[in-house]
Amino acid sequence: MTDFLIYLIEGALIGQVYALIAMGFVVIYRASKVFNFAQGELVVLGGYLVWWMVLGSGLPAWVGIPLAFALAALTGIVIERIFFSRLVGESLFSMVMVTVGLLVLLRGVFLVIWGAHVRPFPMIVPMRPLILGELFISRSLLIGGAVTVVAAVGLSWFFNRTTAGLRMTAVAEDHQIAMSLGISVKRSVAFAWMLGAVLSTVGAIVFLNGKSLSFLASDIGFAALPVAMLAGLESIGGLILAGLVVGIAQGMAAAYLDPLLGGGVSTVLPFVVMILILFFRPNGLFGWKLIERV
Amino acid sequence: MAMLPSGVFAVRYAQDRALLRTRPQWVSLALFMLLLALLPHLVTPRLLAIANLMLVTAIVVVGLQITLGYAGQVNLGQSAFMGVGAYAAGVLSTKWSLPFLVTIPLGGVAAALFGFVFGLSAVRIKGFYLALTTIAAQFIFHFAVLNLPVSWLGGSNGISMHPARLGGIEFSTDVSIYYLFLVSCTLMVAGAFGMMRSRTGRAFIAVRDDDVAAGMTGIPVVRTKAMAFLVGAFYAGIGGGLYAYYIRFISVDQFNLFNSVWYLGMIIVGGTGSIVGALLGTFLIRAFQEVVTSIGPLLAELVPWLGGDIVFASMNILLGGLIAFFVIVEPDGLMHRWNILKASYRLWPFRY
Repeated sequence: MTDFLIYLIEGALIGQVYALIAMGFVVIYRASKVFNFAQGELVVLGGYLVWWMVLGSGLPAWVGIPLAFALAALTGIVIERIFFSRLVGESLFSMVMVTVGLLVLLRGVFLVIWGAHVRPFPMIVPMRPLILGELFISRSLLIGGAVTVVAAVGLSWFFNRTTAGLRMTAVAEDHQIAMSLGISVKRSVAFAWMLGAVLSTVGAIVFLNGKSLSFLASDIGFAALPVAMLAGLESIGGLILAGLVVGIAQGMAAAYLDPLLGGGVSTVLPFVVMILILFFRPNGLFGWKLIERV
Repeated sequence: MAMLPSGVFAVRYAQDRALLRTRPQWVSLALFMLLLALLPHLVTPRLLAIANLMLVTAIVVVGLQITLGYAGQVNLGQSAFMGVGAYAAGVLSTKWSLPFLVTIPLGGVAAALFGFVFGLSAVRIKGFYLALTTIAAQFIFHFAVLNLPVSWLGGSNGISMHPARLGGIEFSTDVSIYYLFLVSCTLMVAGAFGMMRSRTGRAFIAVRDDDVAAGMTGIPVVRTKAMAFLVGAFYAGIGGGLYAYYIRFISVDQFNLFNSVWYLGMIIVGGTGSIVGALLGTFLIRAFQEVVTSIGPLLAELVPWLGGDIVFASMNILLGGLIAFFVIVEPDGLMHRWNILKASYRLWPFRY
């Protein structure tokens, strides 16, 4: 029973980490209509920036981490300037293809800047677990879960209730219509990438805390994909529930199916779930249902 | 639309349908094929090996061109589809010792069915959600190979293959493989040309340009999209099978997401919606890859802290940069540029 509870709680919390990473996808989608294939690379970028600011330069964490956020935001704006500012009005296909290009380009750039070897990631949150009776709960995961919930609620409010957020929502619905209403698509896209990069840095801190960092950490980007799909690409609040579902399913698979079927089930299960979702409920649980008129 | 020189009129339907309409077109194609046929005697063994790789990649990329460039369905799983073909051909030839004339098409069929399943999600989904199922295809392929019993697909050990045999000929040298690949590639490319001007191909184009409008004109949109995946994956499977007979060793790492991105890059550089563009893109990008690999040691001196990884890193930068550059600056690829050049040459000295 205790084992079951541990798997359940761990799964749920890891699901929240996925949700946090997936929030990067959703935020970029919600403000620019671009599906960002390079999400994993943004997480790696965040990871390296935090490493660089905290361990590399020896600054204390409370200085280094805000600096890392600022640098991530700056990188987001630079990405918009270089790659997207000239694509306003082009087809969505072009924009998404650019993110596919970014996926490999950023990986190469990180390799050149930071090299291929594995680095230790700073311990921002203490590793000592929280003990509740017989349960050991990882402190970083717990804090990560809290951060996810706070971020989801905050961003949800921002995108659904504030004027600025609703403007971006309009951009996500249709670039041309948004422009004709006087909304700056460029600014929205720039903000999307800024926010996406900062969120990915938060995700990197939670995900990598006390672990090791190399460019291969970008796999998390694709692992978080099923969570974003289950929630529906437009829903930020839905990520919490989707994260719980995927995380718990994965935790249970890791605990009870992997020993039976020889490992790996827990890695592929989210993708199977994702395909099933796409078949039966293509807009996810909370995604927008688009009505097409001719 | 390709522009013909003035004075070329079709007076019969057969002429109107013909791919090659003028004598210069026939002559240049014949010369090109002659050059390809003589290539093994003209180049060094190293270049011939590269040519082999180019030919087999060309088949896969033409398949991707059909799915992506003609039918407009983004596919990030082409490399997994290729892997399915390679594994199917590998298992059929090593376990059941079927001849390669049977295993290659069956590999193609296996890949086509695998691709079809993911294409079927087009029933419900549009646009980039569809691309996501192809990413899932990549992960599921990887998982299936590594986790099915080792006696089925070899697990992480991979599969070692015997060389292909046809009659008394064994395709074990680069030269013999080259001719095998040249014939296969020519057949596949000719098939693609034929298909793209058939009813199916035109349905692909209609669906790409506007699927609502296509549906209105009576094209079964979902079936057409699934068909595009079927055909594209079939090409990938054929390419994968041939690749397996060439390398004679299959492992799951040869078919990763990164390769799919390379294929995508080839399409974008060459030009979407053009078979010749796919061939051109394959040629240029493969050549680029070889150049980077060969100047790798030089680069390693420039960036000493990376050592051997510099080749991998610069490949990434090159590929990502090329994709981004072409999408931003020349979204229709080099073929578009070439057509503009050709048109302006024909019209010269007039502007239009």
